[in-house]
Parts: sequence; structure tokens; C-alpha cells
Amino acid sequence: MFKKILQSLSKSQTAKTEAPKQAAVTAPTKAAQATSGVLNQIAKPATTPDKPKTPEELCEITPKMSKDQIQAQLKLLYRRYNRSASSLDSKIRSEADQMLTAIVTVREKNFGEI
Amino acid sequence: MAEYVGIDLGTTLSGLAYLKPDGNPEIVPNSDGERLTPSVVFFEAHEDVKLVGSAARDGGEPDRTVFQIKRYMDDPEHLVEIDGKKWTPAEISALILSKLKRDCSKIIGEIKEVVITVPANFNELARKSTIAAAEMADLKVKRLVNEPTAAAVYYAHSQGVQGRILVYDLGGGTLDVTILNVEGDNIRILTSEGARHLGGSNFDEMLLEAYAEQYSKQTGAKLFTDERHRRRVLQTTEDAKKMLSKLQRVNDTVANDKNDGIARIDLTRESFEKLIRQMLTRTVMLVEQALDSAKLKTSEIDHVVLVGGSTRIPKVKTVLEKLFGKVPKSCGNVDECVALGAAIFAKRSARIQEVCNASYGTVAMVYNARTGEEKLMNSVVIPKNTPIPCSRTQIYQTSEDNERVIEVDITQGEDEDAKFVDVIGRITLEVPPNRPKGCEIAVTFSYDENQRVRALVVDKQSGRSREVAVSYKGAGVLSEDDLKRKSAHLRTMRIE
Ligand SMILES: Nc1ncnc2c1ncn2[C@@H]1O[C@H](COP(=O)(O)OP(=O)(O)O)[C@@H](O)[C@H]1O
Ligand SMILES: [Mg+2]
Repeated sequence: MFKKILQSLSKSQTAKTEAPKQAAVTAPTKAAQATSGVLNQIAKPATTPDKPKTPEELCEITPKMSKDQIQAQLKLLYRRYNRSASSLDSKIRSEADQMLTAIVTVREKNFGEI
Repeated sequence: MAEYVGIDLGTTLSGLAYLKPDGNPEIVPNSDGERLTPSVVFFEAHEDVKLVGSAARDGGEPDRTVFQIKRYMDDPEHLVEIDGKKWTPAEISALILSKLKRDCSKIIGEIKEVVITVPANFNELARKSTIAAAEMADLKVKRLVNEPTAAAVYYAHSQGVQGRILVYDLGGGTLDVTILNVEGDNIRILTSEGARHLGGSNFDEMLLEAYAEQYSKQTGAKLFTDERHRRRVLQTTEDAKKMLSKLQRVNDTVANDKNDGIARIDLTRESFEKLIRQMLTRTVMLVEQALDSAKLKTSEIDHVVLVGGSTRIPKVKTVLEKLFGKVPKSCGNVDECVALGAAIFAKRSARIQEVCNASYGTVAMVYNARTGEEKLMNSVVIPKNTPIPCSRTQIYQTSEDNERVIEVDITQGEDEDAKFVDVIGRITLEVPPNRPKGCEIAVTFSYDENQRVRALVVDKQSGRSREVAVSYKGAGVLSEDDLKRKSAHLRTMRIE
């Protein structure tokens, strides 16, 4: 049912006719840091920096969402940002920390304090 | 000679245990008469000696003292500079391990091979650095074992329990949540989740902020202006935090080092609990994530086991009790059970089934034939928590006509969104010309007991293939020669 087509992050940057490079396993690079074409396709639109976002906006929670949907969204975001919270990049880490605070705030509003 | 030895190389405290002939583990004290050694190193200026432990912690010279080095084990760029010499986190850790080895071998005899514990979410560089630290300290690492696994092994051993155990380990710098299943002598890990930068030190820092605010309110001055005094106040806030685990109210006084007067700090357990509530909610979310990963409900957990110094905070217990509807158990001494479990593990490792620590996969455009949707995503081949050893294959298709070189990115991380995973390597494979797009490529990942990962890419039509060990070879990893040189040097050092 699923067809999976390989996409290379580097190929979209370099010419396809380039000679094969030695398979090299290098230090981890955060995919987000690459400015490859493939990643641009999945990059979210830039945020407007003028007004600080509410925790709900940060977590993309809308008034129409059911409790179950909110819970599922919070779980997904928690998993994602808990992981980025251990990034070596301090910018990613502090963004993750802000997100985790927003996630907890939304959780407390919707499901009560622990 | 001590045959089965386990070491808990902790963020705040480290300990060594060995297995007695009767099969029970025991903590071996250091030469200062302490069961646990603070993971602190002090570089003495006047004498050529490195102090490790309480003496280092209480030395009071922050510029020459290294605290919590474990937090940086995964950072290839982190260096500690003292007297112009740069030390890597592995070298600092080697000093701590050396002290443990030297002191404890006076009591239990020569120590050669050890099991060392690491947080479940330690990445590859951190694991490699830990092994390098041990080698520099002239210790052979039989196995690394995840801390919560070790704690659970000890709990199961000492309490004789069976069933599903959830271990909640809240230490100084990290939280680890592991769910495992104990059946007779066999232990099967079901899942391990971790949160970095979430632990007792965060609570100390939060109290420090509250102290600083109170101080400037009452005196109009700053509580601290340099690192030395900040450290001192931080120690005060840690003491107050510990008192609040026993008392409802603590009255404290603080002063800065500029004679701006004294401030009275009135702390209640209630206000402390309020301060750390959001942090504790994060810990609950990690517990829920672990339950989700193991596809279990709270009611399906037979025992909740507390590990780590920060689980002495009463609120931690009540929060978990509310969540699980049963009283969490502490495995006796929460600071020692990791080392004790590691000593048992040294003998019984064959009966303990572990899981992959991370998901591995590649980047692919995935078409859903039913819905017509297409999405560029991180396509996981081996999901996290698959029992190891294991091997998994996924079939992909080439994206272009006449594609000569297939490139497969190797990703680490479970997020579908490729922005939130690490690309840790790439395999390139040259294939025959003039083929249409859509040729099948098999990508196989295999994972061994030591958490080593290999990736194999096979072009089905031509049979050409390429295999690589997925391993971190980047910055921060010492060469064999460097390692030998450094361990020889370390052996000549005076470490007390
Ligand atoms: N009685 C207590 N109440 C609250 N926190 C405590 C208590 N005793 C120890 N801690 C905290 O536990 C942490 C150390 O726990 P430990 O499990 O040894 O950590 P690690 O494994 O990270 O070295 C420190 O932050 C310490 O302040
Ligand atoms: Mg610990």
C-alpha cells in the first residue's frame, strides 16, 4: 500500500552526475541545520517574530480540537521536544525548553495539575 | 581479585560495588571512608595532585574544580582548561574512575574488568567516551549497562519480585524511565526513555533564583556577582531542598560576599512543590511516553520503583502514587542500587534482554496508495525498543531515471518529521546505468548486544551492495594512540 522512494538530503544540493563519494559516516548533523532542497520542502513557514505566541499557538492547539486530539498533539510534541532538549546546539535546546514549558502549560489548563 | 564489579559513574555521586561469593552485591567504600564518592575533581595549584570526591567538592575554588562532568560526555567540543592544559570530559571521568579503582582495590583486591552504568539515553559519543575514560583508568569495560536496568536488576534481586517493573530514576541531572519484565532469572527490557537536563540540579537552580529575588527585595543588593559565591549559595539551596524532604518549613539566612546585609528566607515545602510542579509534570509526561512506547496502561505495571536522590522529595512519590494508584517502592538506598545492580549484571548479563536505544532509518518520500497522500519523511527501519540483537529490512525505490549513484541517508530518531532527527551518516552505492526510476533498493539495519549498528544497502537488480558500521567517528573520539598515551600518563598521576 505504501510506496517508499529514497530521497537523499545531499543529492538535492549537489549535481546528480557527480562522481560517487566514499561512504563516510560522520558526526551527527541536525537535519534542521542543512539547507537542502529536500528539507525546504518540509520546513514550516517562517513565524512572525513581532508578537509572542501563546502556549496554545506554540503547540498548534485550536479551540475546535477535542480533548483526545489535544492530548495526542501534546504527546507528539513532548516526544519531539524532549528529544531536542538534549541537542548539542544550545539554540535548539533553549527552543525545546520553551516548547516543553508551553506543552506543560497547555496540559495543566486542559487536564489539571498533577 | 574481584571478578564481578559494577561502577555507577554518576553526575553527582559515583560508587563501586562487587559481587560477594554468596551472590549478594556490596558497596565498597573509598579511602575517605565513604560509600559513595562525589563526582568532583579538584586540580590543586601548589601540589601535583588531583583531588577527587568530598575533598574536591568542599575545596571552594570553583576555577579549579570540575563538577558534573557527566553532563558533557556527549559534547565533542567541551573542554575544561586548567593551567593551560585542556581536559576532555573522558579524561576528567578517568580521574574519578581511577580513584575508585585505586581505593577499592585496596579492599577487594585487583579490579580488572568492570560493568559501568550509563543513562539509558546516553548517545554513542557519550558511551564511547565512558569506555575511553575506563581504559585511561586501566579498567576493561565488560559491558555498559543502562542505569535503570541495573537498578531494576538490583530491585528484582533484593525483593525477589516478578512481573512488570517501572523504574523512575530522578538523579541530579537526568531522569530515566524504564519498563521491564522479570520472569524468574530472566529480565526483558520493554522500553527506556530519558530526559536530559531534568533533575535535582534544576530544582537547586530554581531555589537559587528565588533566593536571589528575596535577597534583592530585602537588601536592594545582588546576592552574588561571581561564580565562587554563586556556587556557595547553590550549595545552600541544595541543603535547604534536602531539608524540605524531611520538614514542612525551613528558615534560612543568606548574605552576599560584599557586606550588603543578611536576608531571611522563609521556605515551605508547599512553596517548593509549587516551584518545581511544572518540572514534575514533565517527568510524568516521560512516564506516560514510556507507557505508550511499551503499549501498556498504568494498571498493567506491577511495581513502580524509585531510584535516584531526587526521589526522596515527597511530592515525587505522591505524584507517582496518584498516577499509578499504588505506592511506589524505593529500592532501599536510592543512591546505591545502580552500582549494586551493575555488580549483579556483571555476572548475569546473558539473562538480560535489552532493546535498541534509538530508531534508525532513512529519508524517503512515502506515497500512500489508498489515500493518494505523499509525504517526505523520516522512514524508520528499526524502531526504538526492538529487542536486540535484531535485523530489519525495508524496500525503497529509486527516485530518478538513469540514477548512477544511490545515496542513503542514515537517520537516528523516531520523529516522522526529518527536521527532528539526526542524520548520522550516508551510504553511497554506484549502480548500472540506463535504468528507469523505481528500481528496488533494500535497506537493512542490524543491531548487536553492544548497541552497535550496521547498515546494509543492496541494489536488488544488480546485486551490488555496501555495508557500513554506523558509528560515531566525529569530533571528541580519541584515536587508539591518544588513548594509550593518555592512560600511560594517567597512571603516573597522583590522585587522592
Ligand atoms: N533528601 C533529598 N531530598 C531532595 N533531593 C535530594 C535528597 N538527597 C539527594 N538529593 C538530590 O539527588 C541528586 C543526586 O541524586 P543521584 O541519584 O546521586 O544523582 P546522579 O545519579 O545524577 O548522580 C542531587 O540533586 C541531590 O540534591
Ligand atoms: Mg544515578
